[in-house]
Amino acid sequence: MNDFEKQLERALARREPSSDFVLRVMRAAAAEQQSNRGRNSLLERAGAKWFRDRWEAALRFAPVFAALVLAAGGAFYQHHEHLMQGEVAKHQLLVAMRIAGEKLHSAQQQVVSIGAEQAIN
Amino acid sequence: MDVVLSAASKTLTREQPLALPSFAEAVEANKAMVFSIAWHFIRDRAAAEELAQDVFLELHRHWNTLKSAEHLVFWLRKVASNRCIDAVRRGKLHRVISLEESAEPTALERVQDPLLSAYLERMVASLPEKQRILVVLRYQEGMQPEEIAKVLKMNVSTVKTQISRALDLLRTKTAQRLRQQKEADTR
Repeated sequence: MNDFEKQLERALARREPSSDFVLRVMRAAAAEQQSNRGRNSLLERAGAKWFRDRWEAALRFAPVFAALVLAAGGAFYQHHEHLMQGEVAKHQLLVAMRIAGEKLHSAQQQVVSIGAEQAIN
Repeated sequence: MDVVLSAASKTLTREQPLALPSFAEAVEANKAMVFSIAWHFIRDRAAAEELAQDVFLELHRHWNTLKSAEHLVFWLRKVASNRCIDAVRRGKLHRVISLEESAEPTALERVQDPLLSAYLERMVASLPEKQRILVVLRYQEGMQPEEIAKVLKMNVSTVKTQISRALDLLRTKTAQRLRQQKEADTR
């Protein structure tokens, strides 16, 4: 370090702030902590009130909600039953058509075999 | 054997981080450092005290994140430097204070040439922001360029170049001033 740098070092020597600086810092820190605590408890209280209000509203609307759920469930069940009945009817119709087809086929075969016998005779 | 053990314990002590003091002790121990960084940067006693107070309040908020006494000093230097630059950039400290107007704080050590020292202080305060904080950290805090680079998140080479430029500027201006003073004295 040369002379100029040493002179600069001396010129930039540390200085002391006011004698009450530490006290002011400690007071400001304590005040900030206090206000943070107050704000936090206010937030907690506000949060608790928000949840309590929502819970009470939920309890008030619970019977309506239950009725809605039951009605929706009933409608869904009815719709499902209707679909099932349609499926059964469709299946029965297909079975009936197959039986009728088989009967018609055997009657046709009998007619053909009688016709053939008459032609031989 | 004792010599070896003692040497080992010395090494261990040196490598172990120093325990964190209490908040009040930290303020008491570092108030001159933080205030002086702000004072040499902005040269306004009230603004420098306000800035230093803000830095310590910020420290109070981040107290639980600090790990050791070294970390505490590093953190204070970093936050104080950044706050000084931010304050000037935001135009918060646009008022230019003349030396006559501002009360001179008590120096911790006696200066050899008070006039030259006062002039140098003013000159440092007139440097561009980055160069100013680099000079303050280098010559007030006696920090090495590597340490300054870590605190200000800069390249070591940039730190060295900027300090060298600032010194050239200060040297030229001081030489001019001394020449002018000599001429005035001879008249």
